[in-house]
Amino acid sequence: MKLNKIRFQLAVLLVLCMSHVVAFAQSDPSGESAVTSTYALTNATVVTAPGSQLTNATVVVKNGLIMGVGSNVSIPADAQVIDASGLYVYAAFIDGMSNTGAERPDNPERPRDLFTPDPPNDYAGITPERSVVDQLSIESSAIAQMREAGFGISNAAPYGRMLPGSTSLIILKDADHVDELVLEKDNALYAQWVGAPGAYPGNILGMMAKWRNLYTNAVNDKSHADMFAENPSGLPRPTNDRVSMAFYPVLTKDKSVMFDVDGMLEVRRAMRLQRDLGFKLIVAGVEQSWTLIDELKSTNTPIFLSLDLPKEPKNAKEGDDISEEVEALEARRMEFYNLHVGQAAELEKAGIKFGFSAKGIRGGDLKKNLTTMIEHGLSEDAALAALTTNAADILGISQIAGTVQTGKVANLMVTSAPYFTKDSQVRYMFVDGEKYEYEKKEAKKGGNSSADASGDALAGTWNYSFESPQGVSEGTFVFSKIDGGYTGVMTFNDGQPDSDLRDVSFRNGELSFNLEFDAGGQSIVLNVTGAVTGSTFDGTITVDQFDFSTPISATKDGK
Amino acid sequence: MRTMKKLYTLLALFCFIGTAWAQTPKGDVLIKNGTVLTVTNGTLENTDVLVRDGKITKIGKGIRTPRGVQEIDATGKFVMPGIIDAHSHIAGSAINEGTSQVTAEVSMEDVVDPMDVSIYRALAGGVTSIHLMHGSANVIGGQNETMKLRYGSTNPDDLRFEGAPRTIKFALGENPTRGGRARGIQPQSRMGVEMMLRNSFTQAQEYKKKWDAYNANKSARKVAPEYDLRMETLVDILEGEVWVNCHSYRADEIYMLLKVFSDFGIDRINFQHANEAYKVAPELAAFGATASVFADWWAYKLEVYYSTAYNAAILTENGVLTSINSDSGELIRHLFHEAAKTQKYGDLSDDEALALVTLNPAKQLGVDNRVGSLEEGKDADIAIFEGHPLSVYAIPMMTFVDGVKYFDRENDKADQRIYINPESNIEEVTIFDRHDMHRCMEGALSFEELFSTSKR
Repeated sequence: MKLNKIRFQLAVLLVLCMSHVVAFAQSDPSGESAVTSTYALTNATVVTAPGSQLTNATVVVKNGLIMGVGSNVSIPADAQVIDASGLYVYAAFIDGMSNTGAERPDNPERPRDLFTPDPPNDYAGITPERSVVDQLSIESSAIAQMREAGFGISNAAPYGRMLPGSTSLIILKDADHVDELVLEKDNALYAQWVGAPGAYPGNILGMMAKWRNLYTNAVNDKSHADMFAENPSGLPRPTNDRVSMAFYPVLTKDKSVMFDVDGMLEVRRAMRLQRDLGFKLIVAGVEQSWTLIDELKSTNTPIFLSLDLPKEPKNAKEGDDISEEVEALEARRMEFYNLHVGQAAELEKAGIKFGFSAKGIRGGDLKKNLTTMIEHGLSEDAALAALTTNAADILGISQIAGTVQTGKVANLMVTSAPYFTKDSQVRYMFVDGEKYEYEKKEAKKGGNSSADASGDALAGTWNYSFESPQGVSEGTFVFSKIDGGYTGVMTFNDGQPDSDLRDVSFRNGELSFNLEFDAGGQSIVLNVTGAVTGSTFDGTITVDQFDFSTPISATKDGK
Repeated sequence: MRTMKKLYTLLALFCFIGTAWAQTPKGDVLIKNGTVLTVTNGTLENTDVLVRDGKITKIGKGIRTPRGVQEIDATGKFVMPGIIDAHSHIAGSAINEGTSQVTAEVSMEDVVDPMDVSIYRALAGGVTSIHLMHGSANVIGGQNETMKLRYGSTNPDDLRFEGAPRTIKFALGENPTRGGRARGIQPQSRMGVEMMLRNSFTQAQEYKKKWDAYNANKSARKVAPEYDLRMETLVDILEGEVWVNCHSYRADEIYMLLKVFSDFGIDRINFQHANEAYKVAPELAAFGATASVFADWWAYKLEVYYSTAYNAAILTENGVLTSINSDSGELIRHLFHEAAKTQKYGDLSDDEALALVTLNPAKQLGVDNRVGSLEEGKDADIAIFEGHPLSVYAIPMMTFVDGVKYFDRENDKADQRIYINPESNIEEVTIFDRHDMHRCMEGALSFEELFSTSKR
């Protein structure tokens, strides 16, 4: 691009800005705005929908929409022409459920007298009247990360406990204001099995009962409100209970309940409530679906499978000296790993049109996990459908998204090779017609992608030790650097299962994260904070539920 | 008209039950030439038991094997009704909603975990049914679930004991008052427990009055009172639709509850643990109350010191319907031994001792028309033993639920787990797990207690 040409176009733009305020509502002193919002991708291979492909085709993007797809498409005069020879154009992916764009609000302060059947709703986590829109931040790094992974739309879910509020469809672009992100506000009522720490409802027992109670009262309140609206004379005034009212569109089936349920039993419990109460249900984030296929089919329950997969078990190597018993146990563990990674293929075989939820995965894992599913029997077309058309259908946006078709929102992913091939890279993303370009990444040398080798101050293995009421507890934290952030796992020397670390934050030597483990139906959250100095960590573990805290120290494995 | 309507309702109900549980497997089998311990009709030597479609259709000698029916040779073996555990905490994803003192609205049927391997281990002890109970953290805990151990399904619905009456857990004494004292709220003493019960039932009566008035109101423009599932359940208790099973130890608190129930007109009560029940056995018998006790387990806290291994025998001799339970994922595997202890401590007859873990718990749970003894027409829930089940040499060999064999010692896979976390470590697999521990106060414990190994 010649500098002079840019200058000229900028000058034109400035003039345009003055007359077309609508098109460029935001002034841009930084000069970073695109010179045009019309693009033509030429000579591209266009996968218009799963299983349907055009070669040497042109895709025209204008005013945020796809304005033409095909080989005989005229290119508008103001278009920036991108030669897409050798590139592949897909509809950008749609994520069925994640916390993308939302920032976790501070936990509500623990009220003093909690041992009551009816603690305050905000502490109990019963806030269905809220919206994720109030938690969205344009600065959330997850938006750009999801976009770079190929997504154009996320169904953003709010943080919270059993009924945090409503999800909203957001468009994954750089915005100046949160409202620009919102494609559809409050499209589903979001629910999960997360009890209030130390208060009612504390676990699944109380939450199931609370659901029934809330729902029945909402039914009664609505019939009261309807009667009152028709003729208020002689009727007591309805109380306008916000929680009840949040259920009204659910009662009339104008709005679905999206249950974030990973395990098989959690899904069944959501389906049981659905059966008893009769609302429209979507299950999302599902990690164990293989025994649910008949029920999903007979009830026609839409499902978003989790994109998260378990790590492949490390069995003993050939020649290792292991007992027959251990060999048999390893084989059984592998059997269940295969069920996990093969379940998408099973759903496909059963004719279930599932989508995917990106909650809990990092962008970099997307392709890796999809590849694993494909290696275990999922067809590429079904994988693509799950990421595009099926998700659009379930979320009710197939008229505007999910395929590369004239008239739809210009959400496109452009890759360097067919997406599912090993070395394909995302080169461009178009979201809401806005272009994002990604540099070609050179193949990594050395093969090992774990951050250990990079000399990062945190990444690597740390041996911790702390004093629990039962004595000294020891194990490791394993941190990895991924996409500018960190993930981690806590292991326990006493044989407790590993726990994933959440919300790992490491800035200026200050480290904090938390983890949750299940103590027989009651979830316990450990918060860890402290400082890293060289290869030592000194910090504190706190458990809010029990007003418990204890020092913890760790040292980094010197390799 | 009315009868017609009733008939339709019945039909509809029948159809519903028919579809809801149509899938649970039913078996056909002929168990030949065993020593059949019927419990209700004495011991029958060299006798056959024929099972068709999950039911016992014939008990007698020399029954011909119908075509297609599997034959099992029980020569020299003992055939008894499947054992029923009236107090269990296996197969539950959660045990206590311990965050409030009255949680009648919660129900264990919502949290059944069919993948708990403890179910298989119980089957290996001849157990075919359990009463999955809510814990004892609160005065009025949650509703319990009576289950058949149809192990292998991942669907909790498949394990429900269809048609079993609803029951609920109450708790007296140290467990609920411990929580109250720790938090500075009622109840902090046994007096507070009683008041909490009386207040709750009085509230339920008020609640019922409101709804009765609403239902009697003929106006089309009426506004429903607030719905409260907790109160609904308490009303169901008052109306006899939900049977109370009360965690209790001391005689004075047992007697207290009898008085409270008399005052509120509740006549169905099963005392759980009830270590001092022997002191008020005649009073229990006069009330018609029943007891489900341990054979010889006590002294794990102050209120459980004044105990005796003669408890079950004394209660039985006084005409109190008594069962022996496990309350444990370990004891459940040898309840037949627990029952046998009453022959050492109390000289109970074989039938009386066996009834403690079969017919009597079936009666307490309201399922004795279906299980608890070997009779024609009853469900084929059967255990086959090598050696008499009341002998120390007894070995459970096979266990059937609805005529389907769920345990066979001769064909016992080493790994019976239904689900294995692919990210688990192999080293973790141990014979001992948390289900072996007492889960009565789980979810209602302090941090320190959560990490302690003694949970009872």
